[in-house]
Amino acid sequence: MTAQTATQKPAVTHSKRHYRFSRGATTAIGVVFMAGVILFTLFPFYWMLKSSFQTPAEITALPPIWFPLQATLDGYIRALTLYPVPRYLLNSLLVASATAIIATTLASSAGYVLARYRFPGGAAIIGVIIFTQLIPGITRVFPIYFLIKDLGLLNSYFGLILAYLGFSVPYAALLLTAYFTSSSPPELEEAALIDGCNLYSAFFRVVLPISLPGIVAVSIFTFLAAWNDFLWSSLLLSQGQMKTIQVGLRDFFGEAGNLQRINSFMAACVIATIPAILLFRFLQRGMVGGLAAGSVKG
Amino acid sequence: MTRQRNIFCYIMVAPALILVCLLGLYPMLASIRMSFLQYDLMLIATQGTPFVGLKNYIELLSRPQFTQTLINTLAFVVVAVGAVVTLGLLVAQVLSREFRGRGMVRTLVLISWFIPPIVAAGIWTWLFQPERSPINAILRFLSLIQSDIRFLTDSNWTLGPLSIPFFAIATVRVWNGLPFTITFIMAGLQSISHEIYEAAEMDGASGIQRFFFVTLPILRPVLLVLITLLSIGGIGHFEVNYIMTGGGPKGLTNILAVMAYTEAYSQYRFDLAAATANIILLMTGVIGFFYVRQQLKERS
Repeated sequence: MTAQTATQKPAVTHSKRHYRFSRGATTAIGVVFMAGVILFTLFPFYWMLKSSFQTPAEITALPPIWFPLQATLDGYIRALTLYPVPRYLLNSLLVASATAIIATTLASSAGYVLARYRFPGGAAIIGVIIFTQLIPGITRVFPIYFLIKDLGLLNSYFGLILAYLGFSVPYAALLLTAYFTSSSPPELEEAALIDGCNLYSAFFRVVLPISLPGIVAVSIFTFLAAWNDFLWSSLLLSQGQMKTIQVGLRDFFGEAGNLQRINSFMAACVIATIPAILLFRFLQRGMVGGLAAGSVKG
Repeated sequence: MTRQRNIFCYIMVAPALILVCLLGLYPMLASIRMSFLQYDLMLIATQGTPFVGLKNYIELLSRPQFTQTLINTLAFVVVAVGAVVTLGLLVAQVLSREFRGRGMVRTLVLISWFIPPIVAAGIWTWLFQPERSPINAILRFLSLIQSDIRFLTDSNWTLGPLSIPFFAIATVRVWNGLPFTITFIMAGLQSISHEIYEAAEMDGASGIQRFFFVTLPILRPVLLVLITLLSIGGIGHFEVNYIMTGGGPKGLTNILAVMAYTEAYSQYRFDLAAATANIILLMTGVIGFFYVRQQLKERS
């Protein structure tokens, strides 16, 4: 027994020393690697912000100026006055909010029963929802264009909202099914059912109120998916004042071949990014990990 | 009671299901139908939409750009998904450790998660503007290049589907997709218990060994799901390629979705657009079918 421990000991120390060395090296590699990754993710932000505050003269300078010598708000003022950026933002806000509210409302009842109960056809319904959510929008955008056109809803907010529901409802339904499966305990509604609630009032009076945080989080995901869309809005709502911000940016971008205007284009990009950053911060306190597992947005 | 409960379930699920079928499934079928009709917006008033059989597909497949576009689409998926998953795995590996400032680092890495693809494309197009690109400035400073790299327009060097614009756009797609990938993998890593790591450590496994023999095997199902999702999204990807190059130069960054969109939007050939979209539907549908079957199997 003693002999055994004696022979084992050097082996352990050796492996410990080896481990310690490799840990130091791994840490160093890790730090350098992460610094590189952060540079990669953040540098484009820096360049966008920097450019948005530069004067046209500075922004066209050669070689590029890395730190603005004279910061100016000209880019922002021009983005907000020469182009209808505020109007585009309002359009996007309206369409994305309406989509998020309608989609989450319809999806919450579906997500709830799909998570909680087994009923004939339930699995098939989940299959259909996953499949629809999975398949890229380009495979159905053309018939939808004619559908919206035939309904006389081309270039209307409602037409675009309707089209958005096509991908937002399955998206929200999947996220909410995941939410109700993992984060919402069935005990409360069981108690409510025993206390004489029927299935409907148990859902509307008990489950819905306590699940509000999850539903709000899902509606934010849905909002962002609609806010970020370009494909559908460029086909369905491409006229004048009613464009969404993404389509507006794209027009702006076409003109930005004119280098003088890059600062105002970057300013418009900053403005269009604000909701994404704000809502990201909001989502970060909480359930991102769990919800992301059920989300498909890549 | 069961009957009552089932009725309750159907009523609750009906609104969402009807919308999903009407605006999700039906348009896919309508798109298939459209690809067998003549759906030329310029001729629709005089000729209507007669049935033409496989004519659209034959026209599509006989175009020389088609094969290149199909290969590009798949090459983008392989390169961008491969890069984003590799990078995501490594970052998630670091972020799942305890260290000071981890919350801050995590925020900085994930902050670009919801950046609109149009904005991503806009910023990077400006970063890639040859004379004013900070990347070229650095490379020049290090004397690594003599003349500016024309990131989005250089068509001189090609290797199969690979070219400088190809890599430039793949970089943007990786940039835009990285935060989601990291979050997804980190959610998977949370399921690995510390005891397994401690056991491996006791057995003398190094960090790299633990990564290959403990982490990867356990993450396999998560990675499989992730790669499936990213590949399906990648096959149908549209925005970044469309905004940054519109498919050019010389079709080097053209992909199926951009081809379909341009066909409809600029040529008014919705029949050809639908046929192109259906090739995307075929590829993603097959993968999607197996994915759905697997998901349903796991649920029951």
